[in-house]
Amino acid sequence: MAETFISERNLKFLLYEVFTITDLTGYPYYEDHSQEVFDMVLDAAMKLSKDLLLPVFEEMDKNQPEFVDGQIKVHPRVGEFMRAAGEGGWINANYSYDAGGQQLPLTVTLAAHFIFSAANYSASVYPLLTSGAARLIESFGTEEMKEKYFARMFSGEWQGTMAMTEPQAGSSLSDITTLAEPTDNGYYNMKGQKIFISAADHDGVDNVIHLMLAKIKDAPPGVRGISLFVVPKQRIDENGKLEFNDVHVSGIYHKLGYRGSPIVQLSLGDNGDCRGYLVGEPHKGLTYMFQLMNEARIDVGLGAAAIASAAYYAALEYTRVRPQGRRLTDKDPTLPQVPIIEHADVKRMLLFQRSIIEGSLSLLFQCSQYADYEKVLTGEERKRYSLLLDLLTPVAKSYPSEMAILSVSQGLQCLGGYGYCDEFPLEQYYRDVRIHPIHEGTTGIHGITLLGRNITMQKGRAYKVYLEEVHKTIQSAGEYPALQSQTRELGEALDVLNDVTQHLVGFAQEGKVGLFLADSTLYLELFGIICVAWQWLKQAITIRKALEHNLSGAEADFYNGKNYAFRYFFDYELPKISGLAKTLKKSSGITLAMTDHLFTD
Amino acid sequence: MNIVACVKQVPDTEALIKVKPDGSGIEEGGIKWVMNPYDEFGVEEALKLKEKLGGEVTVVSVGPARTMETIRTALAMGAEKGIHIDDPALYNADAYTTANALAAAIKEIPYDIIFCGQRAIDGDMGQVGSILAELLDIPQCTIVTKLDVGDGKATAVKPIEGAQLVLETSLPCVITAQKGLNEPRYASLPGIMKAKKKPVDVKNAAALGISVEPKAKIEKMTPPPARPPGKIIEGEDPAAKAAEVIRLLREEAKVI
Ligand SMILES: Cc1cc2nc3c(=O)[nH]c(=O)nc-3n(C[C@H](O)[C@H](O)[C@H](O)COP(=O)(O)OP(=O)(O)OC[C@H]3O[C@@H](n4cnc5c(N)ncnc54)[C@H](O)[C@@H]3O)c2cc1C
Repeated sequence: MAETFISERNLKFLLYEVFTITDLTGYPYYEDHSQEVFDMVLDAAMKLSKDLLLPVFEEMDKNQPEFVDGQIKVHPRVGEFMRAAGEGGWINANYSYDAGGQQLPLTVTLAAHFIFSAANYSASVYPLLTSGAARLIESFGTEEMKEKYFARMFSGEWQGTMAMTEPQAGSSLSDITTLAEPTDNGYYNMKGQKIFISAADHDGVDNVIHLMLAKIKDAPPGVRGISLFVVPKQRIDENGKLEFNDVHVSGIYHKLGYRGSPIVQLSLGDNGDCRGYLVGEPHKGLTYMFQLMNEARIDVGLGAAAIASAAYYAALEYTRVRPQGRRLTDKDPTLPQVPIIEHADVKRMLLFQRSIIEGSLSLLFQCSQYADYEKVLTGEERKRYSLLLDLLTPVAKSYPSEMAILSVSQGLQCLGGYGYCDEFPLEQYYRDVRIHPIHEGTTGIHGITLLGRNITMQKGRAYKVYLEEVHKTIQSAGEYPALQSQTRELGEALDVLNDVTQHLVGFAQEGKVGLFLADSTLYLELFGIICVAWQWLKQAITIRKALEHNLSGAEADFYNGKNYAFRYFFDYELPKISGLAKTLKKSSGITLAMTDHLFTD
Repeated sequence: MNIVACVKQVPDTEALIKVKPDGSGIEEGGIKWVMNPYDEFGVEEALKLKEKLGGEVTVVSVGPARTMETIRTALAMGAEKGIHIDDPALYNADAYTTANALAAAIKEIPYDIIFCGQRAIDGDMGQVGSILAELLDIPQCTIVTKLDVGDGKATAVKPIEGAQLVLETSLPCVITAQKGLNEPRYASLPGIMKAKKKPVDVKNAAALGISVEPKAKIEKMTPPPARPPGKIIEGEDPAAKAAEVIRLLREEAKVI
């Protein structure tokens, strides 16, 4: 198996050269940090990944979690990694000092997640889920809750989850029915079913703390009636002892990929003794959860790009050593075969992967950079970053998720028949990566969010601010003659985006909601391609600056290689918006007109 | 207890090593640098000893500016302070000159026990620890896989072919660490944040008052010759093919 699963050089290029994250250390909140610290964080993440995660990448797929004697059994490395993540301070790395964290910028935290996820996505999610669940307690919970749960969640002894989905309520969370009945003792009696809950039970930890959505008895219908609860698997009794909280595992699902991490069906309150503790105010649960989900969504996009990165390096290694065929110009059949990386079509597949992975990663860091600045800025500036983050989150989740599937598919294709066989890791990456357009909101739902909510929110203010940001990059790129054509092309792409957006929003103004949103997934796709082109142009400016110096050896190769990936994106990916724009402008409404019974034969 | 751990920064085992065209050394561009893995065992043992008996761990390293990363890594693992011997005349120094620089720096501080890796994975000389002990005129236990320290003495286990030696020595002494001695801990994030604030003394040869005249010089580095291509023995009859293998092993490879 390939030893390389990410490019550290590219990570540092993005962190220090494109996003200059060391600028953050000028703000008091981040002042204890420095590039030296960030480098050490990345080194530590690499070491953990190589020692603990990568070696069990295949094993965790082959021996998937099972439901035995009322408990889910997972690979023993899960517990070891949780403990190592706890001891290393990874679970609360970007929490404040007050919460025992290190105030690490989100961007650096994500860079570490990228490393973990590329080494072994299934293993990487356990601490992440805990971190996310604890974040809800930190933001909206009581001091008493923090006292009760933080220490053992942050040490990796207890698992955290996000428990929302129910059999009848996946995309449509307003339809959940898990019931929370108030008691006089300060807690609620919980009753209901949850499904597909990641890591909701396993023997790698001593306890599980669910951050769960439920409806308080007699709550108003719809999203306004949803509240957030802490529901531990084992609650802490008056003497500080753990006692079973009537949270039962009723099943485990066997999945296509991403098999090292279980998704679990839970049954709550079978014996009428499941206690839930309200977090924050009643009926605000979904709003609270969305705060967490936005961070989790960026992590999902990152996980997708990370798996694609590992697949790319496995494919690259293979294409360099597999002799097959001869150059188109070589007619002599007695000549030795060439490594397949010599073939233009194989290089096309490799460039495609790089352009997707590195473009996506740039967009994800762009979003986390907004989040990092949101934390330290105030007033108008802060609002601006919040708007951008809000607008771009569905894109940063969906573009990498959808495109990583195609990227890994091309990686697999590089290996021909071997790519389809389990002697090579590509088939596993291909299965693993398929999850991302599904969890944390399907692509379809994010399309509707982007077009139906984000573009028009505050009278289109976020969209306007976004266009300003892209124009800033266009302006800077305009100073480099070598970037002339791409700069022009991005400008033209923005014209297309504006044209399509106005056309679609026009339907909304006419009250034609059906036509407005019918193709919002395609709109998301179009928006995503342009957004990533923007990120590539941003990277290209940095590449140009570097190439102005007289580079040689590995450094020259790095920038020249990146420059090809940049050019590839503009020549091969960006033009795809024309077809999308054509369909979107046509608004033929056939998906509205087509009806159920016409699908039958 | 005053504990010293010597560390060296070396290319990552996965780094692609290229010899410079003039043969004077290796191309350093694009290489990832890490703490010599055997030194990690030494640092870990130093930290464990401190946790058991109390005291302080000082890490010492000779090397260019980038060596500071490795010193900080040891500090992030839990060492208290560092000494960085940074002098261009000592970059790529031979084992003696390196040990001499280490000895000069260590002489200036109190020490009860000194850890080195049993060798560094770059030059693979395996000499620095021993020379250091000689220069300090203290006993040494080399290639150690188990260590007990107490009552002013150290008991060390050293595997030899088919057996193991149990060595006992007075303190201070030099211990060179072998794989198996322990499982080095990972640098934690709180450790990394603290490491930044820990003191590191930077010294050059003049400050240490040492000679930098090498005892040994690398004349030229050459990559190992490329492996000749393999041979496939054609034919239908397994017995004849086996006979051909034996003939080739005898006559060409001359191994039987
Ligand atoms: C591996 C895995 C891990 C998961 N982890 C968790 C977890 O930790 N916690 C948790 O709570 N949940 C989790 N889930 C559940 C996940 O979030 C849901 O599966 C997802 O939100 C989709 O819901 P659903 O499966 O009910 O599909 P549905 O909502 O039934 O969707 C089916 C299809 O219909 C489309 N669709 C649905 N509604 C609309 C609409 N209004 N307009 C247009 N199209 C629509 C969707 O886009 C999709 O293509 C996990 C799922 C998986 C597979």
